[in-house]
Amino acid sequence: MAYQPPKQSLAGQIVDVVVLLVMTVGALYVPLYMGLAGAAKTPAPIENPTWEALGQNEAEQSQWAALGFPDAASANDIITARFDYTFSWAALIVMVVAVVGYFILVVRLSDKEYREVIEERFGKNGKG
Amino acid sequence: MSNVSATAAPERLGLLRVLGPGHVWALGVGIVLVGEYMGWNFSVGKGGMIAGLVACWVAGLLYTCVAMIDSEVTSTVAAAGGQYAQAKHIVGPLMAFNVGLFLVMAYTMLEAANAITIGFLLDTVAGMLGHTGLNQQPFIIMTILALAYLNYRGVLASLSFNLVITAFAFVAIILLFLAVQFGASAVPLDFSAVSNEPLPYGWLGIVAALHFGLWYYLGIEGTCQAAEEVRSPARSLPFGTMAGIMTLVIAATLTWYVCSGLIPWEYLGQAGTPLFDAARVTGSSSLMVLLFIGTVFATTASANGCINDASRAWFSMGRDRYLPSWFGAVHPRYRTPYRSIVFLIPIALIFALGAPLDQVVTFSILSGLLGYTFMTFNMVMFRKKWPLGTIKRGYVHPWHPLPAFVLLVLCAATYFAVFLGYGTQLIAMLCFYILASLWFHFWRYRFVKRGDQFTMPWPRPQGY
Amino acid sequence: MDIWNYLEIAAWVISAIIAGIMLLDMIKVDTTYDNELLTSSREGELELTQERHEL
Repeated sequence: MAYQPPKQSLAGQIVDVVVLLVMTVGALYVPLYMGLAGAAKTPAPIENPTWEALGQNEAEQSQWAALGFPDAASANDIITARFDYTFSWAALIVMVVAVVGYFILVVRLSDKEYREVIEERFGKNGKG
Repeated sequence: MSNVSATAAPERLGLLRVLGPGHVWALGVGIVLVGEYMGWNFSVGKGGMIAGLVACWVAGLLYTCVAMIDSEVTSTVAAAGGQYAQAKHIVGPLMAFNVGLFLVMAYTMLEAANAITIGFLLDTVAGMLGHTGLNQQPFIIMTILALAYLNYRGVLASLSFNLVITAFAFVAIILLFLAVQFGASAVPLDFSAVSNEPLPYGWLGIVAALHFGLWYYLGIEGTCQAAEEVRSPARSLPFGTMAGIMTLVIAATLTWYVCSGLIPWEYLGQAGTPLFDAARVTGSSSLMVLLFIGTVFATTASANGCINDASRAWFSMGRDRYLPSWFGAVHPRYRTPYRSIVFLIPIALIFALGAPLDQVVTFSILSGLLGYTFMTFNMVMFRKKWPLGTIKRGYVHPWHPLPAFVLLVLCAATYFAVFLGYGTQLIAMLCFYILASLWFHFWRYRFVKRGDQFTMPWPRPQGY
Repeated sequence: MDIWNYLEIAAWVISAIIAGIMLLDMIKVDTTYDNELLTSSREGELELTQERHEL
């Protein structure tokens, strides 16, 4: 006997959509509100900047000028900003476990559901 | 409009099968080309000039694997929803639900990012013309609404529109390259940083750059969303997708060359609109206008394609009752998934008006990345459950399982690249998908008809 | 008030018009046609007529 799903009421449908929406918006905004989001470069401006000290040759100097940076001081922050790539191994392991665990969870539960689908479509263990 | 059929409503409504390979190309490249106009250059910021180029090519390899795998599966499972329908037939319902969410999230976020960029660009131009404090909101809202309406009215018109503006944006990149090459630039090309400062972050920088290297191509896999509207999917989809990848590798390399030569890498690494900036450096006002229009067109084409793809995925999930069946409706005249299109407008607006650009972009990239990871084991399972010769495939990709394996390795490297700086988002996103999965498995799945989900006329999978 | 302010207002107005047209059309369709018909699209139906999977 094929599985007969229950009819879902209109209110139920709306509730389901709202639940999904809340989860989506939450995933994006919760890290934002907790102030955990984003990687920023930190500038390390040098004293008494000159184009030479910042390692910019003549062609590069004219490029900076065309972009609206007339002197070395104005480009000091951009040129010296660097990312910080130090990370903790513990955090890396947490990430690996989370990613791998997520996929294992989904594939295993999917397989359970998939067997039901195949059984209903093709019959029990026999030929379809 | 030619795609509006005024005939009496048939007994059953389906999407309209009107698209050719050119539209597939326009859908794929249209979504992605915006990556050349903004975003890719953060990879230069994350690792330096060499890392930017390496990331461009490595990501190109990643996407070639994606295109090969995708072409084989899509030319066989030709249904709206693309990878969603593939997952449903090959891995199982919960995976399909997740893949559907990846698609909707990746495209809706990308759409929001595009709208933000258009607002930003208009603000810049208004500033250059002496108007400060432009209110960007109405322009963002108008962009999203206008494109949604275009999609609402019919797929042929929206993708024909995409074909024109995508072609323009592509030609603009080539013209810029030619103009610079033949000396139209007031400032010379300079690649000294390549030898002076090859890898400011060392080898780690190359891996880190991969994060935004994806941005050169992100979304090309969206071509298979159109499967139910293409006249002959088994031929058009592989052709349009492969042509799209080639277009993008060319455009990406030209873009890297022109921008790296004209803009100091420290600036390039944080620029908002790199190609427009390169045009500014040349000092030629006609190039500036050309690249301004190119940027507007590229972002518009991308947002347009995103609305198309996200609504197809949402629609397919509604049709299978993974989401309320209300969304599975087709417009009787325009033959578009109109309720899904309308529903996704406010969602895109929430993100376009409320969240910072890099967050939105990262959310989009991560959803894409999860989708590529899925493709690797999906491909292996596909060949295992239906070995070659048991069903007819429109296209068979060579060297299986090498592409799947390469793709997996590149995905792992990219997770690490995202982890360098955006680890929190990665975890937050995974929490979201795990919660959603549990919700689906233990609650939502009861409304789904079991056997009806398997719609392909295939034999029983081996081992089940 | 310069040209950009007028553009802003124009953008608001156009947005409102488009939203109005789309919503009205959606309401019209939803009340004119039976929901069963609107949601009658099925995946794979085209497969049976257009693509042959037999060898």
